[in-house]
Amino acid sequence: MDELAIAARDKCAIAGIGVTEFMKDSRRSVLSLATEASLAALEDAGLRPEDVDGIVRCPHDQITHNDLASSLGIPDLTYWGEVGPGGVGPCAQVGQAMAAIMGGLATTVLVFRSLNGRSEDRFGQGGHMTKSAPVVGGRATYDEYFLPFGLMTAGQTFALMTQSHMNKFGTTSEQLGHIAIVCREYANHNPRAQMGDRTLTMEDYLSSRMISSPLRLFDFCLETDGAAAVIVTTTERAKNLRQKPVLIRAQAGGCPPDMRGGMMFPIVMRDDPTEIGGKKAGETLYRKAGIGPDEIDVAQIYDCFTISILLQLEAYGFCKKGEGGPFAASGALRPGGSLPINTGGGHLSEGYIHGMGHVVEAARQMRGESSYQIEGAETCLVTGGPLPTGSALMLRRA
Amino acid sequence: MADRVLPRKGDRDTGAFFEAADRRELVYKACDDCGTVINPPRARCAKCGGWNTSWKQSAGKARLNTWSVVHQQVHPLFPAPYTIVVVELDDAPGIRYVGYMDGAHDLHEGMAMRVRFEPTEDGGALPQWMPDNAE
Ligand SMILES: [Zn+2]
Repeated sequence: MDELAIAARDKCAIAGIGVTEFMKDSRRSVLSLATEASLAALEDAGLRPEDVDGIVRCPHDQITHNDLASSLGIPDLTYWGEVGPGGVGPCAQVGQAMAAIMGGLATTVLVFRSLNGRSEDRFGQGGHMTKSAPVVGGRATYDEYFLPFGLMTAGQTFALMTQSHMNKFGTTSEQLGHIAIVCREYANHNPRAQMGDRTLTMEDYLSSRMISSPLRLFDFCLETDGAAAVIVTTTERAKNLRQKPVLIRAQAGGCPPDMRGGMMFPIVMRDDPTEIGGKKAGETLYRKAGIGPDEIDVAQIYDCFTISILLQLEAYGFCKKGEGGPFAASGALRPGGSLPINTGGGHLSEGYIHGMGHVVEAARQMRGESSYQIEGAETCLVTGGPLPTGSALMLRRA
Repeated sequence: MADRVLPRKGDRDTGAFFEAADRRELVYKACDDCGTVINPPRARCAKCGGWNTSWKQSAGKARLNTWSVVHQQVHPLFPAPYTIVVVELDDAPGIRYVGYMDGAHDLHEGMAMRVRFEPTEDGGALPQWMPDNAE
């Protein structure tokens, strides 16, 4: 069953990475940000826009393949695709780039995510609804079951998941606080991180205001303006380019045991909203990669909220179901611990680029260039957003 | 400004739920052949593969699964604090609905809840949930 996945191991590579500054108000269009990050990734790889023949976007992005190709001056695009939704995108976008290359549809694929997540499109504002006479839902959105009842944001959805985890397993706010603090500790080494110069103590965390119980301010990621991009090509070609290639070992998606329709809110209709698609994504990824959780040196774990990390620590097999809280509090995730995570600060403390920043930081680790470099790290797990389905990526040092 | 966010009526898969609520009835979708409950509702039962699904009446008693007290307002029609509840029907385990409660409430998992129909300005109603103090 896995012959083709095994044959594809390490055949493609990330040849270049690029980011804009992560900020509160870019004062530029999302297209300008996407263009800047893409040019940075091309420059990093030693390539020019005319070398790109494929683009993979996230369906949440404003920018389409032709927008970006036109802005960059790519004359001959032979392949374009999109995969998401949202934070599920980046790992799967890299997988789709790999699939396009292995299938002969393209040779050099640009993968990007760009958003003005603070100055223009704030996800936490219940943006579906207008302020007068709002009528919502229908046509397979299922919003009609949630928005009229006050469930309007991702933060509220993850709050309901968190309360469920607390009910079942006795998980505590302090345990979530350890996750926020760990990400801040790494960010404090990262000059690009928006929270780079601000420390976070448990007292700060516990005294921060409640947004949607049991989640507090510091359980939430940073609304961010910015963009990130990577260039995927064959490993053979990447060897002749400017940077050391970062090998793409495998990529996989996965479904939760009790999948429902809809984007995000219907997760609260599941029999167990703490069971996420990451579990299957991880099992499939580890099998296809031939690398298990014990062999992962560093991980970039999608962190729209602290609870997202906690649930994924369980799903991806780093601890048993229900033990994510004690594991997070054990020190394993901290600098010097057995499983360093989100070494640039992640969404919680560096900036929210909907998961693409995690791919970039993983590539930095595999090139030996992170602001908190894990010495000798040879394997890096990257995970995507946990709803509605999971996605994950395994990268290796060349 | 309207005083409610209203569900779109007439959707071919979900509309009957809201039409029932307008009549002050609580319903859920289930398979006529194998009994599997289906939520969000749709026409086909994935368990047995049949298309014989229909809406059933619920007595409107439930248990509280999870909840969140919203302290940061995100929309003017939902001033904080308010509480979002997720309940599971007693007579249709596996069917969960979301409800809105004004203010902050002291809740616990498994507590008994019952439906109440909150009138909307279009003459209909939304099914909401409150602690069932009768128990
Ligand atoms: Zn059936």
